[in-house]
Amino acid sequence: MSRQYLAWGTADNAHPVDIFSVAVTDKSVLSASGAPSIKVHSTLDTEFPLVQSLDGAHTLGCHHIVTGAKGTRAISAGFAGEVKAWSCQDGHWSADQVVSANLTNVDAWAIALSEDGQYLAGVSQDGHVRVWDLNDNGTQIRDHETKGSFGTCIDLSPDGKFIASGHENGAVYIFKTEDGRMPFSLSGLVKPVRSVAFSPGGKILAAAGDSKVIVLYDTSSGLQIANLSGHSAWILSLSWSDSGEYLLSSSFDGKVKVWSIDTKACVATHSETEKAVWSAKWLPKANRSEGFATGGANRSIAFYREATGG
Amino acid sequence: MALRPISPQIALPGVTPDPSVRAYIDDALTALIRELTSSPADSQPSITLRCRVDPENCIINPINGALEAVQRKESYRTYSWPGNTAYESWKFTVIIRVLSMIDQALREGRLISKRDIYYIDPAYFQSQATVNSVIDDLAYTIGVNRLALNVEAAGKGLVAGTLRLIRESRVVLNAQSVSEDNLIPRIQDTDEIDVSNARWILAVFHRLVRNSYHTRALAGEGILITGKGYPDICTRRFLHRIFEAETNRNQRRLPFYALVDGDPHGLTIMSTYKYGSLAHLHENAELSLPPLQWLGLKIADAADETQNSSGELSFFLAARDRKKIVSMLRRSPIWASDGVEPEWCAELQRMLMLNVKVEIEKLYDDGGSLEEWIDRKMFRQR
Repeated sequence: MSRQYLAWGTADNAHPVDIFSVAVTDKSVLSASGAPSIKVHSTLDTEFPLVQSLDGAHTLGCHHIVTGAKGTRAISAGFAGEVKAWSCQDGHWSADQVVSANLTNVDAWAIALSEDGQYLAGVSQDGHVRVWDLNDNGTQIRDHETKGSFGTCIDLSPDGKFIASGHENGAVYIFKTEDGRMPFSLSGLVKPVRSVAFSPGGKILAAAGDSKVIVLYDTSSGLQIANLSGHSAWILSLSWSDSGEYLLSSSFDGKVKVWSIDTKACVATHSETEKAVWSAKWLPKANRSEGFATGGANRSIAFYREATGG
Repeated sequence: MALRPISPQIALPGVTPDPSVRAYIDDALTALIRELTSSPADSQPSITLRCRVDPENCIINPINGALEAVQRKESYRTYSWPGNTAYESWKFTVIIRVLSMIDQALREGRLISKRDIYYIDPAYFQSQATVNSVIDDLAYTIGVNRLALNVEAAGKGLVAGTLRLIRESRVVLNAQSVSEDNLIPRIQDTDEIDVSNARWILAVFHRLVRNSYHTRALAGEGILITGKGYPDICTRRFLHRIFEAETNRNQRRLPFYALVDGDPHGLTIMSTYKYGSLAHLHENAELSLPPLQWLGLKIADAADETQNSSGELSFFLAARDRKKIVSMLRRSPIWASDGVEPEWCAELQRMLMLNVKVEIEKLYDDGGSLEEWIDRKMFRQR
């Protein structure tokens, strides 16, 4: 059974160089690229207009940007090694100097923010997984050492119980936030992992990367549930739909796929570009059809929505 | 001191010595002697060099496509004897020793090489790079090119292909021969380079230059050039002259390509061919190669090729590679995201994102697949 997602609109040439990361709130998409500015495009209007540009956010460009579910806080990580905080009031984003000041010594490559925006998790180039409490002056509350392989990706489960990290050597680790223990070191991927993502209920972890397959793990047992094959290039990004029914993936050859978790099959493939799609994210559902946003080496943000009535 | 006599091939072309060089050396050495002969208490021998310009104070000149310093206040650095640190006193003596060898070479009308200078006292100079940078700094301080100091780097660039160098109506180099290495010579003002049969020029790593790909290329006969790593001034001047002659010919445009490793060094090599280097800002206008196109190797190429071949073409970046990339991205008119080469910037950032670099040699070792790859690429870029 296939599903159809229609091109909904694009923000063409939103950035002058590759878009490496997109983050979503219920009103907007924040995008970060190799250029200094973070751009904010509204999703309330199907023209997807640029509503704000955070100029000079990261001098050498920005590789990761994440938001909490409330959409009031965003954290971004730049190529110069700096991590910055942003806050949103009445739809307007501004630099959060207080939180940013607490993050000056944060050593993280990939980052994730808890649903409530209180905890920042990061994995460093030397493989450390750390957690900082942003409501307590950015105090570091966890530091898990792994085997030292470059930390390429990280995620926090929506219920806040688990952290997962993916590494260049193919390793995937799951930590319990409660006691900091590592219940699982997951096998299955031998090549660099590029993305890890917890399902909305936290029961499944999806991981993917240069092996070109998406592996689903049961977070309670650590066992592999399924392998989703179909991508023919490195997989760069994963995102779960709100309901947990669908998983979105994007790859280095420009393909974007939607997978049914129920049938473990690919239900839609988009190939609007041949260039890398670095980041793909479902938009919050909020009383309308399901949709997603992608950003990558073609420098534009593309929006898709589910075809209704079919 | 063992200086090589002038051999006929490297005879100084009828260049009259630049009077500013003589004046600078005389002033510097006279001042030094004056200091040394004054009473020890007052004596403060020193030498002052013009500082190299940081990338942030450079621009790409839109007229000639060369990396140049913006108009600015000059900055200088003075090295004194004995100086404040051991490093300073060592550096002072290195500069004076190099300067005195240049002085002698000029007086005797001989060319010396950077290697000659270094091998006079390797233990003292510590590295060839020390000698090279002192020579470059002296040339920059005086405002002349290195040749005006009678210092020539041993040529290392090679050329192969359908190219002839004509000097005073004689063919002095015919690069068609594949059996031997054709060292790129120092170009003289009246030389003529005949590239009329060539369909392309490709700057590439040196193993490819030796295997006669230029005779088999799908794109027709062409010219392979290698600087064996970072291209020296001879190689760049040679390419610049071909480019100038092509520009004047008007009808046909010979495409210039670069094939370099997809790592920070490979991209810097390409940038040196196209825009010039920070070490020779005052000469880049005579060395730049504005039409240079980037053939590869890009991460996307490696990802493509990996589909067809068994081997992986990418490697993890070392910490020093990541550091070099970040310093390249910082403030440079070439590498910044709002600079002249956004695609080069993007590729450096993709390396950081994926923590990978890609190497040509790997494709080359993969038995002939590199030649097929270049064939495909050169067609696609036309």
